[in-house]
Amino acid sequence: MTDNHSASHEAGTQRHRLEGPQKHIIVFVLSMVLTIIAFAAVASGDLNKMFVIFLLLGMAIVQVFAQLAFWMHMKDRGHLFPIIGIVGGAFVVVMLVALALLWTWW
Amino acid sequence: MSAHEHAGALPPEPEKATLEGRNKILGFWLFLGAETVLFGTLFSAYLALKRSVLDGPRPEELFQLPMTFIMTVVLLVSSLTSVFAVQALHRHKKGSMLGWMAVTIALGLVFLGLEIYEFNEYVHEGHRFTTSAFSSSFYSLVGFHGGHVLFGVLWIGLLILQILKKGLTVVTAPKVYVSAIYWHFIDVVWVFIFTVVYLMGKV
Repeated sequence: MTDNHSASHEAGTQRHRLEGPQKHIIVFVLSMVLTIIAFAAVASGDLNKMFVIFLLLGMAIVQVFAQLAFWMHMKDRGHLFPIIGIVGGAFVVVMLVALALLWTWW
Repeated sequence: MSAHEHAGALPPEPEKATLEGRNKILGFWLFLGAETVLFGTLFSAYLALKRSVLDGPRPEELFQLPMTFIMTVVLLVSSLTSVFAVQALHRHKKGSMLGWMAVTIALGLVFLGLEIYEFNEYVHEGHRFTTSAFSSSFYSLVGFHGGHVLFGVLWIGLLILQILKKGLTVVTAPKVYVSAIYWHFIDVVWVFIFTVVYLMGKV
């Protein structure tokens, strides 16, 4: 965790390689496109119901992964514990939702 | 690297320059793991109860997609502006950072205004908190998210005031970074709310 800046320190200078906004704007455009596809799929109204549900979940999960990785910097080094925290939380959520659905709809 | 000790010379990533800053970020991520579980319980309650409408309106009668779409875009743009705030932080541009934080707050307030308007419409349509199990779980989930937006607006607002007073230092930088992570998390939760609650409610 402590050697986050080793790359810049090796250069022996205070100049740090700053990331530009391009990647983040790409994530924004991707999120917008996925959101528009999701709303359009529901608004069109004449698609198979199960297909639309899986499409919606797929769009949401791709968008969330992109935002977690780039906007919340989870792809950067030194993010093992954040990944453990969020994956652990997501694991409990999947169990909770599955349990609730089984309990009520079975 | 002793450059950190010189007053006024900020290190490249000031939010991670001190052990306290790094610990703050780590602790915040563990908090977000717990928040994920908290929203998970609200989602599971909603999914279990969404068909229990009694005499109240059903989801597909209630939700208006254009309104939800506008709210989604507002929150998504505010998430992008908070990315820009952190990029300005890494460039040590205090003025631009405060500007992007202010834009983020403004968009958060627009989102809250739209949500209050939406809930008010629902109440007029007979969809109150105590109408049905569906309405209770709906207001709990979406209202709890709205509460998080309100908390974020107040938090980032106070941070702007603190940085105006104390400047951008290795002490204040982690606070800005962590508040941006929080704001992105709010947007991530909203992605699942508009998908699971609003869009799936209309399928």
